[in-house]
Amino acid sequence: MGHIIEIKDLHKTYKGNVNPSVDGLSLCVEEGDVFGLLGPNGAGKTTTIGILCGLRTPDRGDASICGYSVKEAMKKIKPLIGVVPQDFALYPMLTAVENLRIFGGIYNIPRKQLMPKIDSLLDTFGLSSSRNRAIEKYSGGMKRRVNLIAGLLHNPRILFLDEPTVGIDVQSRHVILENLKRINKEGTTMVYTSHLLEEAEHFCSSIALVDDGRIVCEGTPKALVAEAGTKSLEELFLLKTGKKLRD
Amino acid sequence: MRRFWALLYKDILLLIRDLAGLAMMFLMPLALVVLMTYLQDSTFNSITEHKIPLLLLDEDRDSLGISIGQSVEASHIFSVDTMLKEEPLTALSLEREVAKGHYQIGIFIPRNTTEKIRLGIRKSVLGTFGSDTDTVPIRMDSISIFVDPTTKNSFKATIISSIREYAARLQADFVLREVSVEVNRIVPVPIGKIEMPKELVGIKERYARLDEGRLMPNSVQHNVSAWSMFAVFFIVISLSGNIIKERDDGSFTRLMTMPCPYWLYLQAKMVAYLMVCLSQLFLMFLMGVYVLPLLGLPALEMGHSVAALVLMSFSASLAAIGYGIAIGKMATSNQQAAVFGSISVVIMAAVGGVWIPVFVMPEIMQTISRVSPLNWGVSGFYDIFVRDGDWHSVLPECAALLSFAVLCVTTAIVYDRRR
Repeated sequence: MGHIIEIKDLHKTYKGNVNPSVDGLSLCVEEGDVFGLLGPNGAGKTTTIGILCGLRTPDRGDASICGYSVKEAMKKIKPLIGVVPQDFALYPMLTAVENLRIFGGIYNIPRKQLMPKIDSLLDTFGLSSSRNRAIEKYSGGMKRRVNLIAGLLHNPRILFLDEPTVGIDVQSRHVILENLKRINKEGTTMVYTSHLLEEAEHFCSSIALVDDGRIVCEGTPKALVAEAGTKSLEELFLLKTGKKLRD
Repeated sequence: MRRFWALLYKDILLLIRDLAGLAMMFLMPLALVVLMTYLQDSTFNSITEHKIPLLLLDEDRDSLGISIGQSVEASHIFSVDTMLKEEPLTALSLEREVAKGHYQIGIFIPRNTTEKIRLGIRKSVLGTFGSDTDTVPIRMDSISIFVDPTTKNSFKATIISSIREYAARLQADFVLREVSVEVNRIVPVPIGKIEMPKELVGIKERYARLDEGRLMPNSVQHNVSAWSMFAVFFIVISLSGNIIKERDDGSFTRLMTMPCPYWLYLQAKMVAYLMVCLSQLFLMFLMGVYVLPLLGLPALEMGHSVAALVLMSFSASLAAIGYGIAIGKMATSNQQAAVFGSISVVIMAAVGGVWIPVFVMPEIMQTISRVSPLNWGVSGFYDIFVRDGDWHSVLPECAALLSFAVLCVTTAIVYDRRR
């Protein structure tokens, strides 16, 4: 399989900051991978994903998604990607169906296809019975599931997942991860960030550890853990990024 | 197009679900327009219908005296008295009453003024035809006008010119009458009585002005215009809050990762709030036309130009929407937007003549009021309601409001992009 994402020498420094947030970062993601972008707070993960999703522009370097440059062809990239942000990023006063109808409409999905898709996804994630309830009345786990569905409506080729399971109960997490694994098997590439390293170790097929805007190490979780001689990904993480507090 | 409808659907739903916001946007201005119009009606009447007290002593009781009396009564500018309660009205008491400030103008028409004019004319005509042998001139008495020092020059000028006009008309009438008598005496074939033609020069009636360039709206015309603008601008709180909520809860970020162009996002929001603003204006106008008369207030006269009304409504709405977008994009929190939005609108309303009409403000405030977009809007609606202006007459106000809208939206976009 080819590289669905290629990042080459990416640089980004925010106005007023001396240190770059992304400092010459380069990496490739294979099609069909579940790629974990891991690192401590302020490592440059969110900025990198922001650039890949079109929310920020790089100072130098480039990245391509499905062969399109993020600098030149973001319009062509956006319909191909789905984003599941860490914030719920939903309209709390609206119901799940209303939220999903809006996002589906923005993805230009015809209503005849959109409504069955919404029904099916709500059913898959156990939200059918609360479909017409306002999001503000949902539990954290339910909001996370709707948040995920909003990114899946248009069958994206790549799904960016920013802490998709943070702050939810075990049942919700299980449903989310199991369905993500299934969706990945169906061909969707995933770029995943999380501080839950145990989850990342089991969920990701390959990872890159990022710190100070640069790649620290890259490979499959098993190979990296074995290579470093650590017992777990968390131990490897502390070994590579240190124990100093970052915030 | 599907994207636009989805965004519009979102903004309409967000508006509908915010019942408190809807109530603030619709009920508050409707209540304010009723309350303020009712409260201010008597004040407006005293401004617009205040009459100048005038004391008239007509000792002539002939054509000139009667004409002058009728003309000052018919002017509707003066409240005319022809007698005093405590004492008989004489030239002396008339002067004293004006001096005391009880009357601003006093007019004294001496006895036999008309008769003396008549005799003077007769003598002059006979002299012209060579039949007058009497060389003693007729002594004419002057009409006296007593004026309080505080009386505006415009009123003095009105009175003097009216009296001159009636005297001149009377003289011309007498001249023609005497000439026809003399001509009949000379020529063998008698001619009919020559009469003054009536108003060969037509005069187009214009709106009454109390001062140069100033038109006086009534309380309904002022309050409907003013509170409509206030209502339309009060949407900035809802609109900016909506934008900040979307930014804070991450949904704006999500939209920007979707195939959702920034301009389309703004366009949908503008259309949704444009519908709100136009509905507000429609309800305010309906209130002026149908509800306020039920409270004994005058009905709002909407003018005759639908195009002007539509143009003004769109321009005012877009200016308010632009301002709301600018606040929403530049404020760092919902509280900041609400406080700044409401205070700035209240200040612009106060300066722009929403509470107190600009024409009763001191001159310096009248100059300052020109910087307020609410003043441009109120002034535009005055053009329609008070002056019955057409779409050409509201173009300057519309241009100012639309420029303000463009400036606000551009500032918001530039600020957002930089952030």
